[in-house]
Amino acid sequence: MTDYFEVHERDSAARVGELRLVDSVTTPALVDDVDTETPGNCRHVLDDAGSRWSTERDAPDGDESLLTVLPHRGLPAGTPDEVAEAFAVDYPDVTFPSAAVISPDTATDHSSDAYVLAGAPGYVGHASAFVDAVTTVRERIPADTALYLPGVATPRNVATLVYAGVDLVDPDRAVVRGTEGRYLTTDEAYFLEDLDELPCACPACQQPREEFDRQDCVEHNVNALAAELRRVRRRIRDGRLRDYIEGQARQDNWLTATFRRLDQQYSYLEERTPLIRRADLSAASDDSLRRVEIQRFAERVTDRYVPRFDDRPLVLVPCSARKPYSDSQSHKQYHDAIKWRAHVVSMTSPIGVVPQELELTYPAQHYDSVVTGNWTATEIEFVSRVLERYLEGTDYPEIIAHVPGEGYRDICERVADSLGQEFTYTVTDHPTTADSLGNLAAELEGWDRYPKREREHNTIRAVADYQFGEGAGDELFDDLSTQGRYPQLRADDADGEQLAALAQQYGVLSLTTVGARRWVESDVPTKTVEIEPFVPHGSVLAPGITDASDDIRVGDDVVIQGDAAFGVGRAQMSGPEMQSSTRGIAVQMRHVDEQ
Amino acid sequence: MSKPSPEVYEEGKGMDAHNSVMRDIRSRNDSTYDPREPTRVWLDEDNTPDGVYQSLTIILNTGGCRWARAGGCTMCGYVAESVEGGTVAHEDLMAQIQHCLDHEAENSDEQSGLIKIYTSGSFLDEREVPAETRQAIAETFADRERIVVESLPDFVDEETVGDFVDVGLETDVAVGLETATDRVRHDCVNKYFDFADFEAASEAAQAAGAGVKAYLLMKPPFLSEAEAVEDMKRSVRRCAAVDGCHTVSMNPCNVQRYTMVEELYHDGGYRPPWLWSVAEVLESTADEDVIVVSDPVGHGSDRGPHNCGECDDKVQRAIKDFDLRQDPAVFEQVSCECEATWDAVIERERSYSLPLAR
Repeated sequence: MTDYFEVHERDSAARVGELRLVDSVTTPALVDDVDTETPGNCRHVLDDAGSRWSTERDAPDGDESLLTVLPHRGLPAGTPDEVAEAFAVDYPDVTFPSAAVISPDTATDHSSDAYVLAGAPGYVGHASAFVDAVTTVRERIPADTALYLPGVATPRNVATLVYAGVDLVDPDRAVVRGTEGRYLTTDEAYFLEDLDELPCACPACQQPREEFDRQDCVEHNVNALAAELRRVRRRIRDGRLRDYIEGQARQDNWLTATFRRLDQQYSYLEERTPLIRRADLSAASDDSLRRVEIQRFAERVTDRYVPRFDDRPLVLVPCSARKPYSDSQSHKQYHDAIKWRAHVVSMTSPIGVVPQELELTYPAQHYDSVVTGNWTATEIEFVSRVLERYLEGTDYPEIIAHVPGEGYRDICERVADSLGQEFTYTVTDHPTTADSLGNLAAELEGWDRYPKREREHNTIRAVADYQFGEGAGDELFDDLSTQGRYPQLRADDADGEQLAALAQQYGVLSLTTVGARRWVESDVPTKTVEIEPFVPHGSVLAPGITDASDDIRVGDDVVIQGDAAFGVGRAQMSGPEMQSSTRGIAVQMRHVDEQ
Repeated sequence: MSKPSPEVYEEGKGMDAHNSVMRDIRSRNDSTYDPREPTRVWLDEDNTPDGVYQSLTIILNTGGCRWARAGGCTMCGYVAESVEGGTVAHEDLMAQIQHCLDHEAENSDEQSGLIKIYTSGSFLDEREVPAETRQAIAETFADRERIVVESLPDFVDEETVGDFVDVGLETDVAVGLETATDRVRHDCVNKYFDFADFEAASEAAQAAGAGVKAYLLMKPPFLSEAEAVEDMKRSVRRCAAVDGCHTVSMNPCNVQRYTMVEELYHDGGYRPPWLWSVAEVLESTADEDVIVVSDPVGHGSDRGPHNCGECDDKVQRAIKDFDLRQDPAVFEQVSCECEATWDAVIERERSYSLPLAR
């Protein structure tokens, strides 16, 4: 039972939370011992009840204003499993804010508000050991508890520590490095004597260089660490920590290795990555291709999406910088040539392929990539693979590649070759030249236009497949009528009862309770949150939940079911987090029926 | 006196785990040694209750420590220096003694007044060194002034110690107490006896006309720097209060091969103590009525006690100087910028944040 910690915002494995002491502490936070004098901006809220290696310890009394580290046996990195298990400490269930010291071998739910990862100095600096330790511990302790990594944080590494799932750090390492004459910044650990000017504007650095000594260096290091944490908290709130990490982690190779290894722990990150985000996604390196958002989109387009337009020609077009694509000048020109006679699929790095019905769906209208015209081998490989898998599930009578030479054409030729399919190429020079557009229009000669209704219905169904799973488009929306003007579409049943609305900002559907009931009655697995017998208005809190589907992700539409209510809302936690949490908002309700 | 045996403590699961792990680690070492050569021998100077003597230190190869064969102490790699078969015959042990006498003759013009014999086990354990050999060695060194023999408390009695006292040697039994804190000795060092056994052994030695020299270990695994310093200060004071214990040798832990400490060290979970910590303990216990010496092995290296790399030799010299003169003023003459780092480590390091600095 967590009483003194609550997660407020999530950005993949990183969270902004609150240590609910007498004076609350916003995490990720820089915390220090209550009795230690540290220059700079730390919260002195840790009270260590002591190590049981040196002596038996009395049970501490605790204090509502402090986080008491319960008497412990810290296990340094390298402690053999057998020894770790033999000396594992049983922690008392206490009524004050408490932290339990654990190591990967001994981590389990001790009913504490926070967990201290012993041996952290041995893990930090080694990507595989670090990722292994943090993901193991994070999976074994409840989601709504804080993870504290002692003795390791620096201005350079703290963003990556938080990105991996760390909530609390201390200034110890920054202080020690300062006493050693190391001047820490977000990019380096400089030898103080090598600096002829101080690259910082913090108060400690506002003095002549020759008067700046190691004690000042300690103060600067702590200031730099605190400032970086402020930046990280902002990034989490904005949903943009990953964009920062891809650049920041480049400052130390082990940090780059760490976020790449985390990408390989796909299920750890996927469970924690939201389905939708308000924020833009910046794709500036090959590492962006490994992001959960990108991989998930490609996976759903190739596995869940049902091609409903493949009785007509496919036109492959290049993506545009402006999103959604249909708003761009280039796509308007393509449209003028195509005139609803063919199915349009955009090819893009890093997303892969985007069928026209999913152009609004996160991250298709949210990403921004660096365009130079030169594709990397990794990009070509990725987009080729997605396009090939996409085409394997379709049956177009003709494939027209209206794409420019660089990159796009290579990919098309590669996929055509691999599938043994013939592509028709319509671009000469550039896709928007009159010749190219003329070729495209000529190629579609003889095909009729499909009606607006078909376009709108297919969009609703495609988003449903993407969002709810295979078959959802047909099962939930068999007798569909659409209202409104794209991209503001409403999905009604044949009797005019509303089932859902297309959320223009994210390209996902917001169900009504009628729509939700259809989901429950269908064969499509329902993402369900089971609650105690009460009628939730506004939100469902974690303690009211009795069970939740494992596959719920932040941003998912979920069905709320209890003896007193049936409703639908948007998940603010993942299913596993709902199961293990005792605090926090789990679902933002949209509609509820009392029953 | 109580007779703790390895079997009794093995009932504890902590000791089981330590022993199991240590057996496994030690099994990776497959070197063997010639039973007719000592493990090590060297000449030095030593402070004793009778003043400073030239000393001949002998690490006798007796087939290694019996406790280590069960698993043994977490920091001790001397068992690695064992002979095949596990026991060494009388003739071979005497050949080792002759080797040491030759070494002394080659390297010094005078005979050492002080002989120190260690076995990495118990010289007084007759399963390790037969009574016949013990008596022959006593005879061999009967013309010296003092002798120190190493033993676990179990084997200290009038008969064993008496062999040396009876030939006219001022005799001391060196006991690897490691710490006066039973909990630390058991859980961190994995050594099986209690402080009460040490007290009993001191009493027995005294009754036989001998004295006791306690060997302490600074910073076994799992302790923070501050806890290690506190443990040593307390241990020196408790040893000083034991009748018959006139000398304490307080030695910083180093990283020996094929040990659990080495496993921790490799994975970034152990750092040997700072030399400042050694100085701190010597300085603060200088007023105790006991000789306190320290011999930091491997000082200045990553695997040995060290400071920042700049001041290690200076501080080591002050410690050696203190050993001979027992004057805490020697430490006033050494200083270094890294004392600030050590201060921060002492203040901030916890058993869960080991090690805070390299």
